[in-house]
Amino acid sequence: MPGAPLVRIFLCVCMLLGLLAAPGARAQAPSFAAGGLTVCTNPTLPPMTFVNGSDSSDLAGVDIDVSRRLGTYWHVPVTFVSMDFVGLFPSLEAGRCGMVISGVVRQPAREVKFDAVPYQPTSLVVVARAGTAPVTSMADLSGKVLAVESGTSYAARIAQENVALAAAGRPAIEIQQYPTEDQVVQQVLIGRAFAFVSQDVELAFRQTQLNGKVSVIFQPDYPEYRNFAIYIRKDARDRAALAGAIAALHDSGQMAPILQRWRLVPGGGAQEGTAKAASGFNWRTFASALVSPAFARAAAITLAMAVLSHMTAIALAIPMAMVMNGRDGLLKSAIRAYVALFRAAPTLLQLLFVWNALPQFLPVFREAWFTPFLAAWISLSINEAAYQVEINRAALQAIDPGQALAGDALGMTRMQVYRHVIFPQALRIALPPTINEFISLIKTTSLASVISLQELLAVTQINVARTFEFTEYYAAALIYYLLIVFFFLWVQKRIERRFAWADRLKATSHAAA
Amino acid sequence: MPQPDADPMIEVRNLQKSYGDFAVLRNVSFTVARGEKIVILGPSGSGKSTLIRCFNRIEPHDAGEIVIDGERIDQTTELTRLRCMVGMVFQNYNLFPHLSVLENCALPPRVVKKAGREAAEDLAMNFLQRVNIADQARKYPIQLSGGQQQRVAIARALCMQPSVMLFDEPTAALDPEAVSGVADIMASLSADGMTTLCVTHEMGFARRIADRIIFMDQGRILESAPPEEFFTRPRTDRARDFLSQMIRY
Ligand SMILES: Nc1ncnc2c1ncn2[C@@H]1O[C@H](COP(=O)(O)OP(=O)(O)OP(=O)(O)O)[C@@H](O)[C@H]1O
Ligand SMILES: [Mg+2]
Repeated sequence: MPGAPLVRIFLCVCMLLGLLAAPGARAQAPSFAAGGLTVCTNPTLPPMTFVNGSDSSDLAGVDIDVSRRLGTYWHVPVTFVSMDFVGLFPSLEAGRCGMVISGVVRQPAREVKFDAVPYQPTSLVVVARAGTAPVTSMADLSGKVLAVESGTSYAARIAQENVALAAAGRPAIEIQQYPTEDQVVQQVLIGRAFAFVSQDVELAFRQTQLNGKVSVIFQPDYPEYRNFAIYIRKDARDRAALAGAIAALHDSGQMAPILQRWRLVPGGGAQEGTAKAASGFNWRTFASALVSPAFARAAAITLAMAVLSHMTAIALAIPMAMVMNGRDGLLKSAIRAYVALFRAAPTLLQLLFVWNALPQFLPVFREAWFTPFLAAWISLSINEAAYQVEINRAALQAIDPGQALAGDALGMTRMQVYRHVIFPQALRIALPPTINEFISLIKTTSLASVISLQELLAVTQINVARTFEFTEYYAAALIYYLLIVFFFLWVQKRIERRFAWADRLKATSHAAA
Repeated sequence: MPQPDADPMIEVRNLQKSYGDFAVLRNVSFTVARGEKIVILGPSGSGKSTLIRCFNRIEPHDAGEIVIDGERIDQTTELTRLRCMVGMVFQNYNLFPHLSVLENCALPPRVVKKAGREAAEDLAMNFLQRVNIADQARKYPIQLSGGQQQRVAIARALCMQPSVMLFDEPTAALDPEAVSGVADIMASLSADGMTTLCVTHEMGFARRIADRIIFMDQGRILESAPPEEFFTRPRTDRARDFLSQMIRY
């Protein structure tokens, strides 16, 4: 390979530069980063971790910079896996990533299961609409609605305040939880919530997006919210190595530029990558989102996921439906149990189970081939098949037994009877409920964002978090969902035209045509 | 008249069949000559349908012997071959509603005998002409009258070119004119040497098409006689009762 020596020289230069920039940085990588550092993050929390631009794989923020520095420090490549906040800690536990860095505060409750290493000081703030009078204690929020991000520990902490309020005979603070930080902020903007809880650094960044529409009304001094921390699986040596690396980054002056870049220290550089939240509907944002490759790609993922999962589900459900219409037996009982189980368990739980619990039983599922797409495909197929069995069973049962009898009497085999006689007729009966199921599955695919699949809703939320132009991005996503659904309704109409044989009038006009 | 017992088409000896404890066929024995037209009569539940379904093994028998064209029918019989040899027509026609008349007739030769599409459709048109319904070939079953549908069902069975045809109450759902059409077809079949067994409840129809009447009751054959003899001088009280009831309607 003629290019190889050049590459080697280039690598040497880079390493040299690295050594110069970070004296004494030849550190041994801890076990969780051996061979490469995989980082789980939920990029909806600027300036810590977010998507800076329309390419949803292009992550930015303090957490991303810190991770890259750690990779350089340990001389390992860094890969980021973005996913819903709820998926972060299960993924860490399942060994899908070496560490979680996602603007998560250091918290004793979390340290029961994981090791935490602080890297950035912070503090909790209570934020309300601009012009709201400041309060002097949490107790002043009694009886008011407070929005918090779900999956965070804020709700539990505020519940403690409520215990005190109850003891004093005062009404509780009403806690409302929302899945993303931007939705939390929205609640205050639209006036549903009195205030929200956030970290000061995020708020500083948000302020520019929000044009000063909100302001801090109280800063409770909770000791457990004083630091952002990196989380790793419990291991004393790894913890020490990580703490040492963070300290080294601070000491060698590598942290300061990061904080300046994201304006976390006074006199920091210009704000990067934010759009002003315009008043009214921003048609340009909407139009550019609509035609952006990121949205098109996300819509393609959503569509592919729904089509593949449903086709697999139908393929699984047909033989199961045939067994269900046959004689009682062990197989039939097993299918009945399967259907009951998968209809009862929430789809979200099934996704999280396949992605995060399966690798704990079977280590092969920890390997790179087991992608979020594959995991979502498997869990949605198995889940959907449980519903499809009933549709297929009813359709097969609706076919007059005389049809199979006639097929038999003509010398056709069982398989020929199914293929040429029963399935074509059952299709007509099964089609409308199947299309219904499919349309609902298209929307169910959005749950797969918890296992880091970059489908339509995930990409929408990432863009909303970045720009705060939620109406525009929601509208763009809606257009895509509508296009997909209407396309399949059209397909249904086309297929139903071929069922003219079932209707005397239509059959006549069909024959005449 | 065909010669009975000389190289018969069908021989049945001590045929038995039960559903659980209930004996549907009890020691049934008879023979059918080549080209003979048999009509099976008997009260409801006497086992007529079950009997003829044993011949194409849609219902397997429990004991006894069935020999068709020299071949013993049992669990080792290759069903596809048997059913090519023995065709069947049902009371409710059982046409495939999703296929046109032509496709209904062409499908079985195509999938069972692996005939080419064109050959199968030629064959189908041929038999549709034979039952006088070729002009409806492109229509769907739902667009045809009952009599037309039954003629298509007969053509479909004929497309497998069987040597025995079984009819289970083929005219029960038809008006008198259509019944007569079906009777004509059956007469023309036997003129070509087809052996037919037909279950029916219509005495006029039976009288018109039968070479021989077999009268069944409670899983047994009580009488076997030419129609003239059976209808005018039934030998058993059971047959007399049966006929007197039939005449009332
Ligand atoms: N699959 C079955 N399981 C149990 N019993 C059956 C089954 N099929 C038929 N039978 C019983 O066997 C007996 C004979 O049935 P079969 O259909 O042969 O009568 P049939 O003479 O054709 O009557 P019909 O004139 O009403 O058509 C009836 O008593 C019927 O209830
Ligand atoms: Mg019957």
